[in-house]
Amino acid sequence: MPRRVVITACSAITPIGYGKKDIVESLRTGRSGVKPLRDDGLLTDHIHSKVFGTVDYTIDYGFPRKDTKTMGPVAYYACQVAKDVLEDSGLSQDFITSGRLGVSFSSTHGSPTIQRNIYKTFFSNLKNEFSSIGAVDYLKSMVHTTAVNITRMFGITGRVIASSTACTTSSQSIGFGYEMVKYGMQDAMICGGADEYDTTTVAVFDNLLACSVDYNDTPECTPRPFDTKRDGLVVGEGGAAVLLEEYESAKARGANIIGEVIGFACNNNGGDLILPNLEGITTTLRLALQDAGISAEDVDFISAHATATKMGDVIESQAIDKVYGDKPHVIGLKSYMGHTMGTCGAIELILSLYMMEEGFLAPTLNLETVDERCAMLRHVRKLTEVKTRVAAIQNFAFGGVNTCLIIRDVRE
Amino acid sequence: MTRDELEKNIVTILVDEFEFENPGLSDNLRDDHGFDSIDAIELLAKIEEMLGFQLTRKEKEQAMTIRTINDILDYIESMQDAHQS
Repeated sequence: MPRRVVITACSAITPIGYGKKDIVESLRTGRSGVKPLRDDGLLTDHIHSKVFGTVDYTIDYGFPRKDTKTMGPVAYYACQVAKDVLEDSGLSQDFITSGRLGVSFSSTHGSPTIQRNIYKTFFSNLKNEFSSIGAVDYLKSMVHTTAVNITRMFGITGRVIASSTACTTSSQSIGFGYEMVKYGMQDAMICGGADEYDTTTVAVFDNLLACSVDYNDTPECTPRPFDTKRDGLVVGEGGAAVLLEEYESAKARGANIIGEVIGFACNNNGGDLILPNLEGITTTLRLALQDAGISAEDVDFISAHATATKMGDVIESQAIDKVYGDKPHVIGLKSYMGHTMGTCGAIELILSLYMMEEGFLAPTLNLETVDERCAMLRHVRKLTEVKTRVAAIQNFAFGGVNTCLIIRDVRE
Repeated sequence: MTRDELEKNIVTILVDEFEFENPGLSDNLRDDHGFDSIDAIELLAKIEEMLGFQLTRKEKEQAMTIRTINDILDYIESMQDAHQS
């Protein structure tokens, strides 16, 4: 018998702030987290896009060396948000180490900073014979480094899932964590994703002609989801985690239930690894509604993947139109911070929760003139004070992976 | 390097980079300071840097029996002697 899965804590480090207060203020005031790309002394001169969704504030981690010795920058984000959710949850230490709590967490490709250092050594023709490749560089850079640094730091002994599927990494993390709890494999899961500051990702998308290049002098004016003058995505960084728990036990222990995951779907387009696919995306959205046991009319707003690429936004608009028509509000949250890659699904789910809790919808930034091919949707164009109860969070990734999570406000 | 110089260097490394608090020469590295196999590998790299030569695989494996700072100093001295002869 499937069990209900509730969200009892969340935390996000984003380009528009760390924690609910900062983030909500940014959403309410239209503050962008997109900044000029920092010079990395390696690639930036060759990259056309000069903007990045940047975490430019200091975080006081305070982690001891016993933990940091296996952590690259990406694991700092991951462990910090995991620490936040565990502290906020009030879960006992006995439960945390019981094997009934698991971790579903990952990043796009581990720690590129550490990988870059390895390759610098590899290609440097060093005269001296000492390798500067550290003994723990693999632990810091491997693709599941975030998940297992979390387990190490908190002594978690349950299941580990580290799905690394580019832009759907953390939406899969939450979806697979939801299924773990729903079907009784675990009683709780820490789920999310993180990605660190990385210019190689910018270079890759730049070479694919997918990055924004027209707003290098006005970073806050890009990305521009659904806008006629959109010119591509902006890469960003961050970390985000949610704690999912089985409803009855969360209620019994008096946990602060801030939302419920009621549906999840994930599929593949079964073909091209880059191009968005209307049929694949449409199917995902329908499967998520089916899993949630609700109809399209029940969804109040959609957090669209909306990366601001030329075709991606159009295909997503068509898919939303086919499944939902023009009833639900549609927001492109990447307009605030760019595309935080493996983190985006978790961040966008948390921002959706915040907006439900606070009773408002933030407008899609930089949406000045809606592309006529996207105009059939009910775009949020200005700050809107409105009570919403159900949201769908959509994410799509290279490799043809599509996900949709559906969450509900369960507060009285 | 004299034993005193080695001791000073190693204690500085352990305090500054391995976050040891008030290290004693006879302290058990693992029990008293949480020093584990990853730390041992990292310390060996520091020792190579300090000595100015590379240790062989066999020499590194000999270091795995080290339990105290005194053991570290004994080990470094034996490596110095071996590479000078």
